[in-house]
Amino acid sequence: MSGNDSITVGVLALQGAFSEHLELLKKAAEQIETPKKIGFISVKTPVDLEKCSALIIPGGESTTMALIAERSNILEPLREFVKVHRRPTWGTCAGMILLSEAANRTKKGGQALIGGLSVRVNRNHFGRQVESFDAPLDLSFLGNDEAPFRGVFIRAPIVESILPKEECCTNASSIVAVRQGNVVGTSFHPELTGDLRMHKWWLGEILKDLTRREELLHAQENH
Amino acid sequence: MSTALPVNGNHERSAPSTDFTVKTGLARMLKGGVIMDVVNAEQARIAEEAGACAVMALERVPADIRVQGGVARMSDPKLIKEIMEAVTIPVMAKARIGHFVECQILEALGVDYIDESEVLTPADNTHHVVKHGFKVPFVCGCRNLGEALRRISEGAAMIRTKGEAGTGDVVEAVKHMRTVTAEIRRAVLMSDDELYVYAKEIGAPFDLLKETAKLGRLPVVNFAAGGVATPADAALMMQLGCDGVFVGSGIFKSGNAAVRARAIVQAVTHYNDPKVLAEVSCDLGEAMVGLNVDTLPESQKLAKRGW
Repeated sequence: MSGNDSITVGVLALQGAFSEHLELLKKAAEQIETPKKIGFISVKTPVDLEKCSALIIPGGESTTMALIAERSNILEPLREFVKVHRRPTWGTCAGMILLSEAANRTKKGGQALIGGLSVRVNRNHFGRQVESFDAPLDLSFLGNDEAPFRGVFIRAPIVESILPKEECCTNASSIVAVRQGNVVGTSFHPELTGDLRMHKWWLGEILKDLTRREELLHAQENH
Repeated sequence: MSTALPVNGNHERSAPSTDFTVKTGLARMLKGGVIMDVVNAEQARIAEEAGACAVMALERVPADIRVQGGVARMSDPKLIKEIMEAVTIPVMAKARIGHFVECQILEALGVDYIDESEVLTPADNTHHVVKHGFKVPFVCGCRNLGEALRRISEGAAMIRTKGEAGTGDVVEAVKHMRTVTAEIRRAVLMSDDELYVYAKEIGAPFDLLKETAKLGRLPVVNFAAGGVATPADAALMMQLGCDGVFVGSGIFKSGNAAVRARAIVQAVTHYNDPKVLAEVSCDLGEAMVGLNVDTLPESQKLAKRGW
């Protein structure tokens, strides 16, 4: 892990739109105030993942990413990262599918998932590419009186069923954003819009998580 | 006055029906992936299990089109439907250059991307399809920057090198990618007045050329295609700056399709790691036989189709 005043945030780069997230994260980091130095890396191997305090799993093809993860021996380390070390992890579109405990409409024989969100997602919920669209979203967690967020939905999944304990981030009947503890999932692609608000919000959540960890460590040392 | 005769021919569709972000967005999701040519549902499943990020549904792979000759057209919609039902990953299909009705049919079938492709026999030797009016996004081939920007100007949301399909010889794909890159490098250094002249020279719209110069790359996702046959070929194209790879005949014309397909997928993800490339290149069985582009008669070269 990184030292106290610098942290590393990773974007899983097995396949998909990872460069877009890296670009927006770098821009977002310039706009938030923190004494910590935040570095960003693309993650392709378990060694890369070990350096990270938090991770984005990008959009792409979830079946492809799951197969490559298995064959690159990074699937188990990813599960540990999310579910044992409980590091902040955000999945967009395919990334949200991988972070779910269950998925519908998977390929024949099913697909491997990382898990972490106690939800069932429905893949390609809105249909094929000709049914892809964008729509303004009210995301209350970004703050009151914020302008709508442009949600780009590409062959997007939605959360079909959810356990009562999760904090649900939408008032619509189709759930397109979800959070459970350290794990966040969104159906849509903030990385395609140039809107930094979600990335800034998430970096803020990472910093809160780090403070909590440091306090915990401190408390343990004092006992 | 008698009533007016109808004016037939309404193919010039009205204003763009969908936002370009949604069309280019899917191409961005395909980055770092391999799109594989498949001719039936069984091959499509093999491709999906290998980790393909999409499949291209067609009746004959380019290598067979070469051997069998004749006019190559859009595939039977029934075949495309069977492939769409067999897999959950995106399904692309090819239409002939300029054949906007084949495109309308493919859109009605619900394919996820249309490849207006020189691999099929062109239906129009002057015009390409005006792609803005379609809700389905398009990918088109290019040999150089001017050709790429003309296609984007017509509405293509993704570009690929043409290479020389069905040969298993990567030399043309390398040439086309190097040409595009070299031309972009030249444009990056140019002032506006020079860019106007350069736009004229390469037959590209000024605004797109300027945007390309500013970005230092094509404004849409750019895949390699046409001759990729091995994991090393795929990694070569990635290191040359492509965003992903199409593999046509290279997989299902080889000895062990499933193993080779998996190896090429791993090679595209880990294209910068020679150790992984060495590992995945082992024991793949026979590669497709291949044709040397050098010995190919001019009349059999597909890349020169398209204008």
